[in-house]
Amino acid sequence: MDRYELRRLDYSLSEDHTDLQAAYRQFFKTHSDIETVRAAEATGFDKSLWERLCAMGATTMGLPESVGGDGATLVDLTLVAEELGRTLAPVPWIDHVVGSRLLARLDALDSPEIVAGTQIVAIDPQQVAPTGARLIPAGSVADHVIVRDGDDVVLLGFAGRPVKVDNIGKLPMAWVDPATADRRTVLASGQQARAEYQRALDEWRLLTASALVGLVEETMTIAAEFAKTRYTLGVPISTLQGISHPLANIAITVQGGRGLSRRAAWFLDNEPDERPELAPSAFVFMAEEAAKAATMAVHVQGGLGVSAEAAATAYLVRARGWALAGGDPGATAIHIGRLVADRESAAAAAV
Amino acid sequence: MDFSRVELSADDAAFAAEARRFLGELVTEEVIAHDRETGDNFHEGVHLALGAAGYLELEWKPESEGGFSRVRSRIWQLEKRRAEVPWVTWGTTSMIARSVAKFASPEIRDDVMRGVFDGTVRMCLGYTEPEGGSDVATCKTRAVRDGDDWVINGAKMFTTGAHNCQYVFLITNTDPDAPKHKSLTMFLVPLDTRGIEIQGIRTVDGDRTNIVYYSDVRVPDKYRLGEVNGGWTVVREPLDAEHGAVAAADDGLADVAIMMHQAGFMAEAADNVAAVVGTPDAGGHRGIDDTSVAYRLGRNMARIEASMSTPSIFGRVALAQAMRDVAPELMDIAGPAAALPIGADGGLDDRSEYVYRFAPLVGIYGGTLEVFRNMIAQHVLGLGKPNYAAPVGKKAS
Repeated sequence: MDRYELRRLDYSLSEDHTDLQAAYRQFFKTHSDIETVRAAEATGFDKSLWERLCAMGATTMGLPESVGGDGATLVDLTLVAEELGRTLAPVPWIDHVVGSRLLARLDALDSPEIVAGTQIVAIDPQQVAPTGARLIPAGSVADHVIVRDGDDVVLLGFAGRPVKVDNIGKLPMAWVDPATADRRTVLASGQQARAEYQRALDEWRLLTASALVGLVEETMTIAAEFAKTRYTLGVPISTLQGISHPLANIAITVQGGRGLSRRAAWFLDNEPDERPELAPSAFVFMAEEAAKAATMAVHVQGGLGVSAEAAATAYLVRARGWALAGGDPGATAIHIGRLVADRESAAAAAV
Repeated sequence: MDFSRVELSADDAAFAAEARRFLGELVTEEVIAHDRETGDNFHEGVHLALGAAGYLELEWKPESEGGFSRVRSRIWQLEKRRAEVPWVTWGTTSMIARSVAKFASPEIRDDVMRGVFDGTVRMCLGYTEPEGGSDVATCKTRAVRDGDDWVINGAKMFTTGAHNCQYVFLITNTDPDAPKHKSLTMFLVPLDTRGIEIQGIRTVDGDRTNIVYYSDVRVPDKYRLGEVNGGWTVVREPLDAEHGAVAAADDGLADVAIMMHQAGFMAEAADNVAAVVGTPDAGGHRGIDDTSVAYRLGRNMARIEASMSTPSIFGRVALAQAMRDVAPELMDIAGPAAALPIGADGGLDDRSEYVYRFAPLVGIYGGTLEVFRNMIAQHVLGLGKPNYAAPVGKKAS
């Protein structure tokens, strides 16, 4: 790749961006506080929060205008995802948005209920398609489940929703076996199916990376506030480099994960074939860093941080569970490695 | 937000083509070989040619004073990196020239600036001391007034490029009893003055820096920059630029963090290693088909791209840290041939081993990673000034 190509490196947000960001930050702050999050742990889903979110336009925004959406960009969606992650909002927004966008691309979105979010779409976000029964992150609340089955992308429906299984990410996760579906529609096959599904996997990774950025920033902020008021030997522990430098490293992770997510989103929006490795890269980076950062945030708060009641532990478990919902992040790293090796070896051979 | 290719006017496109041609011809095999041999990261012939063609002045001056436009400035910067123009001594010269233009006495200012623009005047930084560290305000090198002159005694480390320079931008202590930020005076000391001894030190990345000793060096007052004991003001301006504390314009025509130039070597090495493992060997086997190779390459690519998306002072740490984290893994992926130096028989010339040796320096010079972590902790997160143990020999109150 020409690393010296003259491109703009402009990460700035427009006024529309910052308005959108502020609106969703306020929304989640108001309607998804830590008590709400805790209360939804049994089901992994807060129905009332979901309905408010849909009423705000969060499900329609990312869909094309041709199906009744608002045509928002992926950059816009990363801003929402970051705010969702910041409060650990118990709603399957990422899965639904990515799934319904996939349906729209496959010309299979003809349900106003899906557009409005009154019917929920789940997707299997693993990079490598599993066979047989598989864990679907939003499976227990979904009316429609999109999976790969051999060369096909299929839409599944179940007479009764799949049963929620307890999981570290507190997601509405369920085992879904395509063989037991009551409805099964082939949406696409072959090359088109593979390409569009990969796009959905990339979008899921991008938005999950953004959610993890918000999650990490918030748990870091809570830990930093704690450190400012906790004293040892007469000084705030925040002034000790053993505490402040790990927190500074987390702040750096937040900035890097955020910048990369937005850059990746811009390329998917504008030049999707140019840097296909960036969205998965944002995910691989944040999947690894989120767990480390959330652990450090607990550590900074010591004995109080490890309490099951502490906000820090709510962030800790989701930092792991939300990333792992997409399958082993290593499979995504392998995907990145192959993309880059193919590109660079082809470029070297062309010289 | 915008990451698009910049659309150029016909004039700017012609400029870009000319810059690539000119620099490509200027940086010959001989220039590269000279750099490897001396570690100078400076080539006088190249530098004088850049000056003669007017490029030093165009690059240094703002557009309002006849310098490059923003877009040409960015084109020029990227094309210099592509051609691998030696950069260290122009970097220090250009930075110090900001202080010279603002603070030097009229007696010396115009001559110095003329030389900066034609390439005959180069300047290096005399900041760090053998017993000091990253805190430039900790200064034991003394300057004492003697009539119209000053007499300087002391020593400075990391005076990179001194043997190719005409002046050193020297921090001295002129009032040992004053608080440290009110004790400093800056001088632009001619390096051919008696009493100056330059000793070369080679660093592990192959570059050369210097330790410079000052023994009863007599400097006329006209070489003082700024007020006596007002050196902090003079030094802070270029230091802010070095630390990346100057707000970036949002036209996307600049690096988002300092050390991006250095990190470019990491990105290029990673691309090289990716090409190596993506190419079949004599037996038709590609390294990338081994999933452990693909996994590590992908994971490290992700870390590289994240670091290169990290802005300002955060990016300064992220880039150097990524270089340190990624380089050993790139070498592992490339395999044992990555251990061979550039140009070796059967070598890959992928440069991952260079990045491994270079990375420690990138996290030290220009303010260590700890300095920046302190800045982020204190000024961004509001964690307060770091607490240190009481100085040795003093009891904590």
